[in-house]
Amino acid sequence: MIRFDDVSVTYPTGTRGLDGVTLEIPDGQFVVVVGLSGAGKSTLIRTINGIVRTSAGALEVDGFRVDGASNRGLRELRSRVGMIFQSFNLVSRSTVLNNVLTGRLHSTPWWRALFGWWRKADTELAFQSLERVGIVEKAYNRASALSGGQQQRVAIARALAQEPSVILADEPVASLDPPTANMVMRDLQRINRELGITVVVNLHFLDLATTYADRIIGMRAGKVVFDGTAAETDDAVFEQIYGRALSAEDVLPGSAAVQIDLPDSPADA
Amino acid sequence: MTAPAAPARPRKPGPRPFFIVVGVVAVAMTVWSAIQIDFTLAPFFEGNPRAWGIVQQYLTPNWAFVAQVWPQWLETLLMAVIATFAGALLGLAFALMGSHTSNRAPWLLRVVRWILSVLRSLPEIGWAYLMVAMVGIGSLAGVLALVIFNMGIIAKLTSETIDAVDRGPLEAADAAGASTMQRIVVALLPQIWPGYFSYVLYVFEINLRASAIIGMVGAGGIGSVLNVERARFNYDNVSAIVVGFIIIVIVLDVVSQTLRKRLM
Amino acid sequence: MSTVTSARPAAPSKLPATITFVAVAAVVIACAVALRADWLALLELPERIVTYARLLTEGFWANPFADPQRDWWAVAFDFMFDSLYIAWIGTLIGAILSVPFGFAAARNVAPQWLVWITRTVLNVIRAIPEFILAIVFLLPLFGFHPAAGALALGIGSVGTLGKLTSEALEDLKPGPVEALRATGASGIAVLRWGMLPQVMPEIISFWLYRFEVNIRAGAILGMLGLGGIGFLFDQLFNGREWARAGIALLVTVVVTIIVDQLSAAVRHRIIGAEQFTHREVF
Repeated sequence: MIRFDDVSVTYPTGTRGLDGVTLEIPDGQFVVVVGLSGAGKSTLIRTINGIVRTSAGALEVDGFRVDGASNRGLRELRSRVGMIFQSFNLVSRSTVLNNVLTGRLHSTPWWRALFGWWRKADTELAFQSLERVGIVEKAYNRASALSGGQQQRVAIARALAQEPSVILADEPVASLDPPTANMVMRDLQRINRELGITVVVNLHFLDLATTYADRIIGMRAGKVVFDGTAAETDDAVFEQIYGRALSAEDVLPGSAAVQIDLPDSPADA
Repeated sequence: MTAPAAPARPRKPGPRPFFIVVGVVAVAMTVWSAIQIDFTLAPFFEGNPRAWGIVQQYLTPNWAFVAQVWPQWLETLLMAVIATFAGALLGLAFALMGSHTSNRAPWLLRVVRWILSVLRSLPEIGWAYLMVAMVGIGSLAGVLALVIFNMGIIAKLTSETIDAVDRGPLEAADAAGASTMQRIVVALLPQIWPGYFSYVLYVFEINLRASAIIGMVGAGGIGSVLNVERARFNYDNVSAIVVGFIIIVIVLDVVSQTLRKRLM
Repeated sequence: MSTVTSARPAAPSKLPATITFVAVAAVVIACAVALRADWLALLELPERIVTYARLLTEGFWANPFADPQRDWWAVAFDFMFDSLYIAWIGTLIGAILSVPFGFAAARNVAPQWLVWITRTVLNVIRAIPEFILAIVFLLPLFGFHPAAGALALGIGSVGTLGKLTSEALEDLKPGPVEALRATGASGIAVLRWGMLPQVMPEIISFWLYRFEVNIRAGAILGMLGLGGIGFLFDQLFNGREWARAGIALLVTVVVTIIVDQLSAAVRHRIIGAEQFTHREVF
């Protein structure tokens, strides 16, 4: 369970990343966070594993207090929280398998880590993770030789190898084409349903959000402005989150999900 | 209904032959070299009874001596300046001739590249010996040796920059009907100036150090002083010169870095 | 409809450029005059070149397998290989030592104070030419032993290699490193699996390049008596044995070129299809 209790994040520049956020995310939920850039989605996700430090309020993940935690404590927390990124963040020159194995580093003694003498159990786990995302045949390929969608699946496998209770995903599909994006979202959904892992995803494509999420959290200027199911979202809700009318940028290209009525162009006078 | 078989796990591929060969060669080379030069760190531990006395001399540098040999310092500096200037000009010329971006005559290209290879494969001290043989002891030999030596370095660095230029302006010049020289002056040179000047500064530092070295074979400069004092076991003088030299190099390094940052 | 024409701007003055040009030329000429070198000897240079070319190449045309040429060639190769061995061990020492220094000098790895101290140390080492290291420290201790030469080259290499390593580390893509931290891996694990794989090919390429440099740097050490081709040059040129000296020069050039080519081939292969970053190798 992830619990935010009046959490705020204030950056050194003075801007508020999060402003008095109070939320509870029960285990096994699939949450999608939507909002404009700078609205706080990224900040919200990054406070969960301590990459961004909170300035006020209490944040608890699986009973562990994240705010004010020591570095060691954070490392322990992060071993239980997997994270995937928009730019995949794989080590390009390493093999796919080695990339996934890095998810086991948190429990690998230094001498094993130094020489790459992974435990058999760890290697088995890595292979299983690759099989779960359907990319095991590429295990010994160089990571950079894979397509974007494949690389993201390797990143998911890396997160899975941690045997996490939570997976965070920061704009995981923003760099992918629509069919691949849907594939990755489906993978995440499957993992959530089959393994019971809590998944928190940042997205700016609304149709993906409504398709895959159990629960949608809308953020604006660091505050939570919407918290409900996909069914409860409609154009009005989205306008509230974005502060403007829906546009073509907010959905996947080629998506038939949303009918766009663009306002008249002011130049046509 | 049987489910389709899951894809089999791939086998771990063995190391690529290239890396095996390189690895074996490296290890063999290391072992062989260590044996050949009889590598041992024993002297560090055994110590040398005279060493302490020598170290003591080092720790009391004779600063007066540094001032005494100021003509040689000046000589070193002057040699470095002149050699850098001449080497820079010649190096640029050779770079232009040795790069297929600027030089479109393939025969000239090959000859120039070959000459540059040879120039760069003889260390500065080799050129120093050669020049001393040809023109006698003194700073002329030093300047000549340095020029030949650094000409090759500037040529190589500059030609790499030339090869990396944006082809656009060159194509434009061609389209306007420019001759080879015009093309170079108008489209190529402006692109390479910053890099070129930074190489010149770099080479100046090298020349300064090199002129100390070649002094030791009689080509003028502070190197000869160093050698003489060392041979006479005047380690306090040696120490003073060394410290002075290091200070000069550090100062120049800082100046050069700042200048280079502003150029790039 | 009215048209507005703006006045043509004045061309920027060419004066600063001209002044710089003249100043530089003046400085160089002043230096040339002050040097009081035997400039007139330059006039005799072409003739001397021809003479010495003849003298030096005398040994080439004779049968290399007959005495005494066979001996000359053998000795030259012998000393040249010694230079290679010294340079190899020296580069190895420098490479190994430069890794911790390189990490300690990288801002994204080490704390600010450590970076500052390490960089200062590296800069001082880089300012000390190898021959001074050899003369000052190693000769009194080791005497005239090739191991001293190797050590001098090794310690001297730490400066440049350390700096290049730290720069390569600082240029790393931060993404994979952040991702590894997010898995809860410890600092060492992040270094080993997030940074090292990204940077290793480039670092090895620096090592190989340094080997090429050290072969040449070793010549001066030879002249001091520490073994290698420099020692041979000293003997032959001072003894005015031109034919043998010519052979020594040729051997030096040929072996150096071959080693350079091999090293360049391995370097390019290691860096691979990735963009060969033109880093300042100085």
